[in-house]
Amino acid sequence: MQPELPKAYHRATLVDLLDRVLDKGLFLRADLVISLAGIPLIGATLSLAVAGTQTMLKYGVLSDWDEAIRAVPPQQRQLLRERHPSGPLMASQAKLATTA
Amino acid sequence: MTAEPANATAAYENGLYVYCVTRGDGNRLLGPIGLDGQVVYTVGSGNIRAVVHTCQAEPYQSQDPQAVQGWVVAHQNVMLAAAEAFGTVLPMAFDMIVRGSPGAGAVAALRDWLDERRDRFTRLLDRLAGKAEYGVQVLWDRQVIAAWLVEGDDELHKMQNEAQGKPKGLAHLLQQKLAKTVRAAMEKQADLFAEDFYARIRRCVEDVRVDKLKKVDGGKAHPAAIHCGGDPRQMLLNLSCLMQEGSGDLGRVLDDIQRNKGISVRFTGPWPPYSFVGG
Repeated sequence: MQPELPKAYHRATLVDLLDRVLDKGLFLRADLVISLAGIPLIGATLSLAVAGTQTMLKYGVLSDWDEAIRAVPPQQRQLLRERHPSGPLMASQAKLATTA
Repeated sequence: MTAEPANATAAYENGLYVYCVTRGDGNRLLGPIGLDGQVVYTVGSGNIRAVVHTCQAEPYQSQDPQAVQGWVVAHQNVMLAAAEAFGTVLPMAFDMIVRGSPGAGAVAALRDWLDERRDRFTRLLDRLAGKAEYGVQVLWDRQVIAAWLVEGDDELHKMQNEAQGKPKGLAHLLQQKLAKTVRAAMEKQADLFAEDFYARIRRCVEDVRVDKLKKVDGGKAHPAAIHCGGDPRQMLLNLSCLMQEGSGDLGRVLDDIQRNKGISVRFTGPWPPYSFVGG
C-alpha cells in the first residue's frame, strides 16, 4: 500500500498514542460532555491517570498536565488540589496557582 | 450489520462514549470492540454518523495504569476498525461522553451536535479523505553536536586547547567559559536546524502541526538546557504531518535529515488525523 513511505524509524509507542488521544482529536461541546464535579472530563481523567501511576509520569503525561489544567477554572483547580493533596503534581499545580 | 443492541434503548438516558465521526448512516454494528469489550455501533444524522458505545453517564477513570492504557488502546483500535469499515474518520479525544439533557436522551443530544456541525464535519471529511497523520520527531545527540561544533569553530577549538595543561583552578574556569560558549552556539544551531528541517518537511506534506518538545528518556526538554545525565538526545522538532497515503517525498527528506551527524528521526504512523480535526 505504501511502498515509498519511510520505514518506521521507531515503532509507535504508548506515549505517541497518549500524545494524540489525550489532547488532540475532536472535543464535545462543554454542555454535552460528561463532567465530574464540575471538572472537565479530560482533566479529571488525566489527573487520575497521572496521580495513579509513575508510569504515566515517566511517559511525560505530566508535562501535558499543565496545559490540561490551564483550561480548568481556578475554583476547580482548588478542588483538584484537594483531591490530590500530595504527590508529584503539587509542584506544577502550585506554580499554576500563583501564576493564574 | 443490523440495528443497535436492543438493551441500548434503556440506557439512552445515560451516556454515549463517542469514538469518531464518519460519513454514512446510523444502525451499523462494529461488534464488541469498545472499551471493556462494549458493543460499538453508529448513531447517524443525515449523511454523517458517530461511532459510539452506550455507557454510564460518568467518565472512564481508574487508578490502575493498566486499565487506563487498555482503554486508550481500545479507543485507538475502534478508530482503526471504523476507518477500515467506513473510510475517513474524524477522531475524538479520549473519554468524550455525551450525556442527555433534561427531557432529551444522549442519542438526541448527539444527533443535535452532529447536525450543528454537519457543514464543518463534511468539509473536514472531504479534506482528510485518503490522507493520514504521521508523527515526525527530530532529535539530536548533545554530545555529538557539541563536539562537532567545537571541532568546526576555530575560537571554540582554541578555548578547548587553552584549558588543557593549565593548573586545575584555571582549567576549571576556562572549561566553564567554554561550556557557556558551546551552549550558546548549540542554542543557535538548534534554531538553525529546526528552521531548516521544518521548511524541508513542510514542502512535502499537505499540512503540519508543531507540537511541544518532549523529554527523551530523562533528558531535558529544551535543546539548550544543560545536559545532566540520562539520554544525551534531545528533541529539536516535534511535528504531526498530514499527507496523502503512499506519498514518498517525506521519506526521502527524513533520510536526508538523518544523514546529519548527531541527528536522528523518529517517524510514526499512519495515525488517524487526530491533529487535524481542530479540537
